Amino acid sequence: MRIPLSLIAALALCLPVVAQAATNVNERHPLGAGGRVEISNIAGKVTVRGWDRSDVALTGSMADGLTLKQDKSSNRVRWEVEYPRGRSNGGATLELRVPRSVEVQLGTVSADIDVADIDVRRLQANSVSGSITAAGRSGETTLNTVSGGIRSQLQTARLDARTVSGQLLAGGGASGEVAAESVSGRVNVNAGRIQRLAVETVSGSLDVSATGMAPGGKVTMQTVSGSVALKLPANVSAQLNVKTFSGGIQSDAGQVEKPRYGPGRSLDARLGSGDGDISISAHSGSVRVSLGR
Amino acid sequence: MTAHDSDHDELPAHDELSARLRALPTERVPPARVWQGIAAQLPGQAPAPEVAARTPAARWPHRHRWPLRVGLGMAAALAVLMVVPTPIPQTPAPSLLQRQADAMAGEYQQAIAALPSADVTDEWRPALHELDASADTIRAAIAENPRSRYLLGQLQRTYALRLELTQQAVLSAGLPT
Repeated sequence: MRIPLSLIAALALCLPVVAQAATNVNERHPLGAGGRVEISNIAGKVTVRGWDRSDVALTGSMADGLTLKQDKSSNRVRWEVEYPRGRSNGGATLELRVPRSVEVQLGTVSADIDVADIDVRRLQANSVSGSITAAGRSGETTLNTVSGGIRSQLQTARLDARTVSGQLLAGGGASGEVAAESVSGRVNVNAGRIQRLAVETVSGSLDVSATGMAPGGKVTMQTVSGSVALKLPANVSAQLNVKTFSGGIQSDAGQVEKPRYGPGRSLDARLGSGDGDISISAHSGSVRVSLGR
Repeated sequence: MTAHDSDHDELPAHDELSARLRALPTERVPPARVWQGIAAQLPGQAPAPEVAARTPAARWPHRHRWPLRVGLGMAAALAVLMVVPTPIPQTPAPSLLQRQADAMAGEYQQAIAALPSADVTDEWRPALHELDASADTIRAAIAENPRSRYLLGQLQRTYALRLELTQQAVLSAGLPT
């Protein structure tokens, strides 16, 4: 029997496709309230969505050569994508479905993390160069990335977000305690009623607004060379203290003081009854405080 | 007592002071024989010139030497200044905060040196460079404003983050990408 040459050529062309064939992932595990689910994946993407069921489900696909390691107990499940030594042909694209009131812990290197429609007790997402997007509700939230960006629209009472060079955008109802740190990336926080707000950068600009401050609340903003903008409602009650070395100060309240000799500017003002504390420090960055939103 | 009374009270004292000033001996030039006697008692000295000969015309040659001596002195002083290295003006001593920053930098360098050397992957490299540049920026800011304590906190945070990420980068260096 003679095999047509064209058929051999077509099979040869298909070989790389076969070699890179993806492995499907389809896993489930019962997990009640308070349980914890962990995902570890280096490259690709991790998507998390909430649902009204009492089990977690992991679906998706992995590049050839990757394997899924599982570690399960009654109130905890961990799925880790294991990569062969050396350079792999691709990553894993995973989608995780989580019930309410569980703890979710995600770790990636270059894989992006996308979380939405959740209502969990705690969310922790770490990446190196991947970006993190999060929306929904979470009791406590920790979002860390090194060079990727962070975009949070989570309603959370406790947000701790940190990046080095990526942009950090936090809105959608972060309230209570908010900590946002960046080195060179811009930080933009649009918070609700805050008890503690700490925002720091080295060179990234800070743009923060809040709908109110809890009694005795505290706001701290620090930067070296980034610019600072703070917007608060007119009825806020706090003692405002601003200090810069060479940066300018503009404020809707208080008078800017300059020493007779030498550099530096400062402003102290009592807003309302002066209940909370607002402290802003910038070295060369300029500061703008707006009241009346 | 009025100011007028006071003036009157001081008049007798003024008269008395004037009288005592007038009673002081007037300045007198010593007679020529006094100079001759002093010169005679000095060993190995040339005979004292006649006081009468010390006319203004005779003193001019000495006075003409003074500009020359002053000029030579200034030239010598200039030469010394040019040859001898001028001490550099002392910079102000580093503040406590600067010393703390220096100590922190030293500890950080030691900690980094203690880590096993490994080629970090591309995912980590930009951030590590960014942190190094940021640490330099903060140290420059501390040099400008050595009393700013929050800058020291920023530096500490940057070093801690650099160290933490370097550890993670080293640990993940063997992982596939």
